[in-house]
Amino acid sequence: MEHLLLPAHHNGYSSAFSTLRSGQRVTEIQKNMDYLISVDDASRCMKCGFCMSSCPVYGVDHMESHVARGRNLLIQWANKGEINTEGAYQDALSFCILCGRCEATCPARISSATLTVQARAQLVTQKGLTWTEQLVYRGILKHRSLVARLLGLAAKIPGFSINEGKPLRHLADLASIFSRGLALPRLSSPFLSQRIPRRTLPPFGIQRRGEVAFFPGCGLEFFFADSGKAIAFALAEAGFEVVNPFGQTCCGLAVQSAGDLETATLMARKNIEVLSSFAAIVTGCATCSAALKRYGDLFSPEDPIQEKARELSQKIYDFSEFLVRPGFNPPKTTAFPLRVTYHDPCHLRWHQGIHDAPRKILHALEGVTFIEMEGADTCCGLGGSFGIKHREISLAIQAKKMEAIKKTNAQVVVTSCPGCLIQLMDGVRRHQLPIKVMHIAQLLGGETRGKVK
Amino acid sequence: MELPKGTTEKLRKIAGEKGVLTSPVDLLTYSYDGTTNWEAKPEVVVFPTTTEQVSEIMKLATQDVIPVTVRGAGTNLSGGSIPVFGGIVLCTTRMNRIIAIDAANFSATAEVGVVLHDLNQELVKHRLFFPPDPQSFLAATLGGCVSENAGGPYAVKYGVFKHYLLGMRIVLPSGAIIDLGGKTMKNVTGYDLPQLICGSEGTLAVITQVTMRLLPLPQARQTVLAVFDNVVTAGETVQRILASGIMPAKIELMDNWVIQRIEEVTPLGLPLTAEAILLFELDGMSEAVKKETEEVVDCCKKTGAIDVKPARDTNEAENFWTARRAGFSAIFGNAPTVLAEDVTVPPNRIPELIGRIRRCARTYDLTIVIIGHAGDGNLHPAILTNRKDPAHYARAEKALDDIFAAALDLGGVLSGEHGIGLEKKRFLKQALPAEAIYLLKEIKKVFDPKGILNPGKIWE
Repeated sequence: MEHLLLPAHHNGYSSAFSTLRSGQRVTEIQKNMDYLISVDDASRCMKCGFCMSSCPVYGVDHMESHVARGRNLLIQWANKGEINTEGAYQDALSFCILCGRCEATCPARISSATLTVQARAQLVTQKGLTWTEQLVYRGILKHRSLVARLLGLAAKIPGFSINEGKPLRHLADLASIFSRGLALPRLSSPFLSQRIPRRTLPPFGIQRRGEVAFFPGCGLEFFFADSGKAIAFALAEAGFEVVNPFGQTCCGLAVQSAGDLETATLMARKNIEVLSSFAAIVTGCATCSAALKRYGDLFSPEDPIQEKARELSQKIYDFSEFLVRPGFNPPKTTAFPLRVTYHDPCHLRWHQGIHDAPRKILHALEGVTFIEMEGADTCCGLGGSFGIKHREISLAIQAKKMEAIKKTNAQVVVTSCPGCLIQLMDGVRRHQLPIKVMHIAQLLGGETRGKVK
Repeated sequence: MELPKGTTEKLRKIAGEKGVLTSPVDLLTYSYDGTTNWEAKPEVVVFPTTTEQVSEIMKLATQDVIPVTVRGAGTNLSGGSIPVFGGIVLCTTRMNRIIAIDAANFSATAEVGVVLHDLNQELVKHRLFFPPDPQSFLAATLGGCVSENAGGPYAVKYGVFKHYLLGMRIVLPSGAIIDLGGKTMKNVTGYDLPQLICGSEGTLAVITQVTMRLLPLPQARQTVLAVFDNVVTAGETVQRILASGIMPAKIELMDNWVIQRIEEVTPLGLPLTAEAILLFELDGMSEAVKKETEEVVDCCKKTGAIDVKPARDTNEAENFWTARRAGFSAIFGNAPTVLAEDVTVPPNRIPELIGRIRRCARTYDLTIVIIGHAGDGNLHPAILTNRKDPAHYARAEKALDDIFAAALDLGGVLSGEHGIGLEKKRFLKQALPAEAIYLLKEIKKVFDPKGILNPGKIWE
């Protein structure tokens, strides 16, 4: 596949979101939605069908309405009012996992994933959210402290949480009846913000190189606190003073993907307020960094916050992207010779164009033998709520990933996205593979380093 | 058309609940293919997974006289997979198993829904090579490739799909399942039916399985880029190289418009005033490739290339080919509608054809980009236009007519790779003698007496 990718293109989730330029606030944006949905972008589709080669969903069910070409045409017809947007159309939109991989293969460079999000947002404007969506997106997710309190209560139930060790299994599996069999991770107890200090200093004897803000996001805060802690320690060991700023909220990508731009914008405003004063902000979650890097697209140029949002986006780094900047000294890890393979999260590979950075880290770690898996850059099959909504397809995509992982004969598969961690953990368990799933930071993060076996 | 009562239920019984689509939204997504101009909706889409299911579907269609249009990925560029008479679209994409790769006998057998790119990736693991390379290979299925007798840049040295076809399993409209050809390199046993069905655009039978001849993967490959300030000189260079006894695997030509776009996207340092680029690929034994590369470079310089760059390594070679693809992408990124054609002339008439196309562009005040396979005379003039601008689009269509006329005039054909389908059927009478068209129609009747397979294609 690599040889077919277009040059100089995927340094980011490409252009269509830049058409989100009108409207002062989201409510106004939604009023102008007809203008916002960039039909012209969809109409550049030449129907070549190259997207089929990169679409994980089409790769399973081979249905034209589930691949970018089909969807782009449906979006055009819907915008011309030529088709009914009830039922089947909405369904077709829901079948995009939003990995963005097709955008790199598209000769016309259409931002198909973004178009799908826009089309979903248009439906939300026209038809509103369902009551469950309203409750989850606007009643709960919007309020981080409420999320923390609810999950905190859940964590008190024995078996729903863990302190250390394997995040899957046991009582948390009960919750999987709500996720249609997807093994949900157990809650971390305590949450990450109680495990790391507000400010983590570089260990004694390491030269201080500056200060960074750490944006853990919901996944690392509530479910993978171990990984979150490893990130903070790895950054500290690299010479950075790591601040965990108070008042962060969800990055907003989940609600944005569902078409709820209003809630996404409110979340963005909050995070911009909390993070803007820092010179660099590092996340260990591919989804969060993908969202934060595009905050500017959510606001109109007339809104003064857009400039602030764009400035902030310039300072956002994925963990591995940040570490491999000049001056990176990999820690010695000879304590445990390991065969490691790496899974590219779509939000990192396709939405941010980051491919080399995590591999540089893996190659640099002494004791680690890095084995590239086949199709490392194809989706794991979760795609947030896609994995629950379209369970069968999600499992089929997961099975391909597991096959590839198995072939490497690696002991550990690392990645850098909590969503992928969930899906990969569920997969190795389902396929009974003797392989550990970890965040890449856990190979080099301070006190957790060396504790693989 | 309206389906006879109970058809979809019967189809569900054959192909399963999930193997049949009937929602209006789903049907719409089978109303088009890779062609710009045509749309027609089927009444039902069915996804068989076995030859037996195909046979059942064909029996049903024959009994109730329902049109059946077979479709793979729908990347066709002549409207061949569009169900103009409605009815059933028989989609083969779920018949996608590679059945056998026989490295010892250099052959492979696969179901028709296998994507060409997927097959190639498997073959490379065995150090095998299947040369036909239609540029839709990322998505195109083997079934579509056989039915359109597809080819691509490798055609100059390696030929097209039909040259690699050993055998196939087909289902006749009657439902009869027949194996044709075999696995051997040579086979003279009656009329060569696989060759007849190859390129028949889905009008004679439903192919469900193909057996292809393979080659060993060449040991070495080398790319050479040559820049010319004159298209005619570029054309002469191609002739000189072929005459010298060197047979490059690919000889691709790009015009000034493409060069400018390449320099915008992936700068290779090409002079913006250059009229044409030739991109060669030489392959074979390492020593031979080395020697041939020297001769090609020498020949380009002697005939007056203003610059010649052999790729220094595989990375640079990849950059050159990426640039070509970027140029191709630019065509589609620079106009709302592109009419990408497929005319083919004897290779030595290419400079003349280019001259005629350029005149055409001036006459109708259009941008016509030229990109093509210089080695085999197959050009893809791409007319940049906009369907939503009727006046402009009308001029583009006129230009297209003139280009077809020019190709025939120069001893060429309407289509090198894309087929006739719907797009070019109004020109068929100019391209074939009446007796030949009569033969085509009679052959069709023998295979498909009720005319249910892909009706409305090839002739008017």
